Amino acid sequence: MMRVTLDINGREHAAEVDPRMLLVEFVRRCAGLTGTHVGCDTSQCGACTVHLDGIAVKSCTVFAAQAEGHAVTTIEGVSPDDGLSPLQAAFKEHHALQCGFCTPGMIMSALDMIRRGAATDEQAVRAGLEGNLCRCTGYQNIVAAILAGAAAMAEG
Amino acid sequence: MYFGQRLTRREDDKFLKGRGRFVDDIEPAGTAHIAFVRSPHAHARIRGIDAAPARALPGVLRVLTAADWQAAGLGALTCVHPMPFSDGRPMNEELRPALASGKVHHVGDVVAAVVAEDRYAALDGADAVAVDYEALPAVTDIARSLDEDAPVLHQRFGSNLVFEIERGDRAATAAVFDAAHHVVALTLDTHRVAGCPLEPRAYLSRFDEATEDITLWATSQTPHYLRRWLAKYALGVPEHKLRVISPDVGGGFGLKTHFAVEVSTVVWASILLGRPVKWTSTRAEALMSDAQARDHHTRARMAFDRDGRILALEVDTIAALGAYLSNFAPSIPGNSYPQTVTGLYTTPNLHLRVRGAYTNTVPIDAYRGSGRPEATFVNERLLENGARELGIDVAEIRRRNLIPAEAFPYTTPVGRAYDCGDPPALFDKLLEIAGYEGLRAEQRRLGDRGVRMGIGIACFLDKSGTGSSRNLASRGGLHGGYESAIVRIHSDGRATVFVGSHSHGQGHDTTFCQIAADRLGLPIEDIALVEGDTGSIPFGNGTWGSRSLSVGGVAIMQAADRVIDKARRLAAHMLECAEEDLLYENAVFSVRGTDRLLGFADVADAAYHGAVLPADGSMEPGLEETVFYEPPDTNDPQAMHLAVVLVEPRSGKVTVRDYFTADDCGNIVNPLIVEGQVVGGLAQGLGQALMERVVYDGGAAGQLFSGTLMDYALPRASDMPGVRMTFQETPAPSNPLGVKGGSETGTIGAPAAIGNAVVDALWDLGVRHVRQPFTPDAVWHSLEDAAG
Repeated sequence: MMRVTLDINGREHAAEVDPRMLLVEFVRRCAGLTGTHVGCDTSQCGACTVHLDGIAVKSCTVFAAQAEGHAVTTIEGVSPDDGLSPLQAAFKEHHALQCGFCTPGMIMSALDMIRRGAATDEQAVRAGLEGNLCRCTGYQNIVAAILAGAAAMAEG
Repeated sequence: MYFGQRLTRREDDKFLKGRGRFVDDIEPAGTAHIAFVRSPHAHARIRGIDAAPARALPGVLRVLTAADWQAAGLGALTCVHPMPFSDGRPMNEELRPALASGKVHHVGDVVAAVVAEDRYAALDGADAVAVDYEALPAVTDIARSLDEDAPVLHQRFGSNLVFEIERGDRAATAAVFDAAHHVVALTLDTHRVAGCPLEPRAYLSRFDEATEDITLWATSQTPHYLRRWLAKYALGVPEHKLRVISPDVGGGFGLKTHFAVEVSTVVWASILLGRPVKWTSTRAEALMSDAQARDHHTRARMAFDRDGRILALEVDTIAALGAYLSNFAPSIPGNSYPQTVTGLYTTPNLHLRVRGAYTNTVPIDAYRGSGRPEATFVNERLLENGARELGIDVAEIRRRNLIPAEAFPYTTPVGRAYDCGDPPALFDKLLEIAGYEGLRAEQRRLGDRGVRMGIGIACFLDKSGTGSSRNLASRGGLHGGYESAIVRIHSDGRATVFVGSHSHGQGHDTTFCQIAADRLGLPIEDIALVEGDTGSIPFGNGTWGSRSLSVGGVAIMQAADRVIDKARRLAAHMLECAEEDLLYENAVFSVRGTDRLLGFADVADAAYHGAVLPADGSMEPGLEETVFYEPPDTNDPQAMHLAVVLVEPRSGKVTVRDYFTADDCGNIVNPLIVEGQVVGGLAQGLGQALMERVVYDGGAAGQLFSGTLMDYALPRASDMPGVRMTFQETPAPSNPLGVKGGSETGTIGAPAAIGNAVVDALWDLGVRHVRQPFTPDAVWHSLEDAAG
């Protein structure tokens, strides 16, 4: 066992953990932030996407211990207390979610894509979602939502 | 009026903010975890299990095997839709064991369960259980399953045959083929796929030692079924002491309906240990344990007259059922498949034989479309090949064969009556949005430049809202087809609706409350929906077979109407007028021709106060109604697809460039949600057509190759074309909302439409068929075969 202390959404979380514990498990089990999900074992699905120092990473590919000294941001950290962020509002407006399981990962990936200036058109967004699986929507509405969200954030 | 409005979904905010509550998000203090020991062999004898090394590990609490299960006197998992032989003999039924005993029959078969203090200790414990196997030859290829020399899974049956049925008229159909102007014959296999909802299955069971109550949180589309099955068949626990809660569930697509192999052991372990026990599937386990789908080997023929009219269809199918029979499995090739195989055409003669068979594979069960994709692929592929061989345009041949509107209700050669529709009009709508003539012109232009574009169509029907219970029973079903709902008005005039359906992406919180708000005359904000809790909902046949709206929705409507009936009686009493003189609008009762008003909330308040009710005792206090709604029949949604593909002959790569859909799913409550269901289903159908495939080695070892999402390819955003949709609303006659199922057409039509488009692109090179999925490898081999 080892002691790991992480900065998640600006708050310190410390726990005694098995060294093999993944960041996603620390986020879910030790910090109790269950908005970040696990959909596969092999980093294909992107449901576990969080930001590490502002960059989107799959938290199932990072050991909890490796995240020490870095700022971890989860879906809870980008959600306003009241209402929805412009990107979240665009997802709702365009019916870009059905079961909602992939949604936090989609939001975290899309935010990263938008901040990098990569959400320029439909083709770019489809390519940018290469690391995120959705089994419900067929992506059409997610792509529309990200483009609308990017426009709303640019006006911001 | 909320009915018909594109309301955004009420349930979205929590998911968007990471505040959904899925089973794995719940973990009471003191929760122990289970890991399962699974067979690495497709077929093997278990010579011994040594659990001692696992028991010796720190944190391991218990190791359970089949011997423990049998010693505890526990029962079997169940098959609730058996399919007898056509001559009346019962099927050869081998049920899925919670823990394998004596032999294992597929990779992933559960051999032991290790319960430990945490998940890591459980996984280490599972690794330490030593199982001594004697490997046996396996058969995983459905086409070989009934061969004389095929390894037999369950020796007591003498072969792998589960059942054999015939439908239609063999002799009459054979005579039509003998005399027909033209006959097309093809081998039309539909391969095995995995449903893959993004949330893996999970179960958490808590046993309260003081009260002996069990609470099970489960990723279930059918929590009441699960409670009944655990109580009645597997564990023998009293049903009233078992509460099943199915909270937010991350997609189901059918496979979260089934009595999964792991859940009984999780509940049993929580009783044994007297503490909460949890299991969350990994994706690797999901791909070797979640029920899989399709897997048909089919030879079929279609007979035509010289004008391209279909004279007869002949189908001979071997349908895989996996290593054991899952709940509904026999009914899929036994009922859904024959009932939809002639599709939307006036095919007068049919002979169909289906043989269900065991193979050393994961059990098969319902997955979105369930029997209809296999049927549609057979019917539509034969029709388009026939059209080309006869020199008739593929759109024109459909016009000559589609069932005309005036022929409904239309009875097929298997005796099924389709309810209503106007297929020719729907077809015109499809061709119009696709710009069919323009596409053909573009195809010729591109062809001149050496670009191979293909256009493929599929016309077909779904089968939704499966009912009535009596109809189901007549086809072998041991479960109901009705739904229950409670509409409870609170003393402030707001409402809670309880229903036995379950939403795991379908948007019930929005759609169902649109219906309730209209019927109650309340703003939708004043209505809450409760699903997925056997503790508060009378009973539920759950969500599968696109039944939620046409059965559960109607139950809600009827309960709401009864609530308003009672409120009207009470309001008339309070206003001292006749009921007929009351108007009810926007939550206010008013006496016609007067200025006397009474708010719905005031009526509710009076109903709960009780004191102002009629003194003669003719009315009970409270304002709540329960309905068990039994639908008179199934409904028949219809849809048509047109796919445009580009095929690169040198590599075999297929790109779906455009996709058009036309759906008739009856009246539409919320177009936003229905459109979402169409595109979502289509992504799964496109996945099956182009890339998804469960792969076993096919040899005697029977190893599973598609064991992770690195090997099992799910469609990504860049694989999907833009989809253009159109709708026609023919109200269903079998329910008062006039609604039909709207979520399965995508998976049903896409393999046929895309397959037809691929063949269209390569027809002049001599390609007559490409096996599914249409991967570069499959297309390239078809081209090689055609080149001879």
